[in-house]
This record gives sequence, structure tokens and C-alpha cells, in this order.
Amino acid sequence: MPDPLSPPGPDLGELLTLVARGDQVAFETVYDRVAPVVFGLVLRVLRDAAQAEEVAQEALLEVWRTAGRFDPARGTALAWMLTIAHRRAVDRVRSERAAAEREARAASAAPPPAADEVAETVESSLEAERVRHCLDGLTGAQRESITLAYYSGLSYPQVASALGLALGTVKTRIRDGLRRLRDCLGVSW
Amino acid sequence: MVRLPWFLTWRRPHALAGPYALDALDAAERARYERHLRRCATCPAEVRGFAAVAASLGVAAAATPPPALKGRVLADVAALDAARSADAEIAAVLSAADARVASAATSAGGTATVVTSRRGGTMVFTSSGLPVLPPTSVYELWFIGSAGVRPAGLVPAPDPDDAAVLVLATGLSGDDAVGVTVEPAGGTDAPTTTPIVVLTPR
Repeated sequence: MPDPLSPPGPDLGELLTLVARGDQVAFETVYDRVAPVVFGLVLRVLRDAAQAEEVAQEALLEVWRTAGRFDPARGTALAWMLTIAHRRAVDRVRSERAAAEREARAASAAPPPAADEVAETVESSLEAERVRHCLDGLTGAQRESITLAYYSGLSYPQVASALGLALGTVKTRIRDGLRRLRDCLGVSW
Repeated sequence: MVRLPWFLTWRRPHALAGPYALDALDAAERARYERHLRRCATCPAEVRGFAAVAASLGVAAAATPPPALKGRVLADVAALDAARSADAEIAAVLSAADARVASAATSAGGTATVVTSRRGGTMVFTSSGLPVLPPTSVYELWFIGSAGVRPAGLVPAPDPDDAAVLVLATGLSGDDAVGVTVEPAGGTDAPTTTPIVVLTPR
């Protein structure tokens, strides 16, 4: 499966090896390739451009500082970098949400995004099309559980309460949904 | 805490592969799952596959970042890199083959220490227990020798959380000693007070 983010040239894993040695030119190439995904994903979770910029900046600096810890045996370089970015975004959104809930005791989490909303907000890329197509192939509960967790940054107990499902049900929906997505996307792993 | 028999608990960690790959665990659960992951024969492959799916979900959310972001990130990277090379220079002085150390109590209190590498013309200064100065004053370092008395840098105010402040200076020559004076904030070009200590590394 060709990686849409891997144009000809050194792959991201090789670039990270150079970055780990302090190669700023290699880092700039990494930036150019992954910044749109890092920023877009963080923006998707945080829904606030100013905060997304801060968190994306922190995440990219973490990539620079910790590139030596990337282990190709545990996944692709892109997945590693997106994990850094997503975790930071989730940490931020959860602490903000906790603060907001303390203040307002806001009754409900963000409403589950419909599949159509996913299509509206993503860049029209081949990968976005494939992801949308594969998300459409899930059951509603699988799709909502996965998008609430990943795109809205909810923990799975929060997903359970937002959807009115039992904890065990949400875990199963997420796992079954991810398995189906994995097969549909044909991701290499 | 009640320990459940293994046959009541063993399924639970496996079922967390999905929430783990989506960062849908809290910090404590994540740590617990990662411990499980190291022992589990089948989990790493499943997590790897789910992480690849998550990466695809991430790619699908791509958006054009603000143009100014790149400049800020690259500037930060350059600054971090400079700090890292400064640290490397300090390490180089401390481990130089011709490194010499001098340490002495100062007349103001506390102890001052320098490590010099004459070949590199470099010096690292550190101290402990120097009295904290009012914001209008600063400790200034001097190279003192046959080449005259030349400024060698200012000692940053100690960070309450960080005991050791290291100051790196270059321009050490020949028979220089290293002196410390108290000067007006911002420092001066020539000492205006008597040194509180003069160190001659041997």
C-alpha cells in the first residue's frame, strides 16, 4: 500500500534517523511532510486554531527532541509522530474540558459527529476519501465510538456515557470497528 | 485492593487495545496497559495495526497549517540545538585532557569553582551558596592575566529549582586566573569592586 505522505526521496523513518543526529535540514523536510497532518489532526481534536497551533508546535518540537526513540519495529514513523501529536491534543482537550465541567457542569459532551461532518471538514485527499468510505462501512455505534474517541478526544468511559452504552460495549465496538477499518484500509502493519 | 483471580481479569487488558490505540485511556490505565503490552504475545501486532488505522484517521484530518508556524518551529529547533551544542561545549571543557580545576570560598560567602582548558581557551564557572544579590547587582567573571583584565561573562541569578548554574566562557589565555566581582546589573567592561575570589587553576 503506497503511503500518500511518502513522495520519492528518503522515507520518514530514515529522515528521523538524521533528525536524531541533529540534522536540521532533515527536520525541515519532515516538517514539510507532516505539519499539515499534525496541525489538521490537532485542530480536529481541539476545534480552536490558536490552541491547535500551540499544540502542533509543541508536538513538532517533541519530534525533534525525541526522534532517537522512534522504533520502526513498533510502527511507521508517521504513526509515531501522529501519536505524539494526538496525545498532546487529547491531554489539552481533556484538561480544558475538565475545567469547563468544573465550572459549568456542562451536561453533555460534544455531540457525536455524523459521518457527513467528517467528510466536510477533512481536506479532499485520496486518504480522506478512503477513510470516509471505510467509516461508512461501520455500524453507527462503531463509527461514533471511534470518532468520539479519536477526533473528539473522549476517553472510552466518556464515550460510553455520551452514547449511553456500557463500558464493555464501547470497548467491543471500538475493537470491532478498528478491525474492520484495518481490513478496509488495507493498512500495512 | 482486591486481587481478582487471573481468569476474571485476563480478558480485560486485551480488550483495551482499541481504546489504547485511540488514546482513549486515562494516564493510569495507559500505564497499566503498556505493562501488559510488554508481556502479551498477541497484543503488539494488534496495537500496531490499530495504530496504523489511527494514523489514517489522522491523515484524513490534514489541514493547511498557518504559514507562520513553520518559522516558529524551526526557530525553536535552532535554539534547542544551540543549547545542546553549548552543553556539549561545557562537557568538552569538563572532560578535556588538559582540564584544570580550582575551587575556593569567596569573601562574600559560598564557594566558586572553575574548570579551564588552556588549549581550548575555555572555562566553565559554577558556584554554590553565593549570596543572592538584589536585582540591581550581578556577579561578573573576569580573566585576569598578563593580557590584562577582560570580562568573561555574567553569572545568571540562581534558579530556585536548579542548584547548579554553569557558565561557559571563551577567551582564556596563557596565565589567566579567573576572578569574580559584584557589579551593577548588566555588568561592566572593567571591574569596579575588589574581587570576592580569584581562582588560579593548576
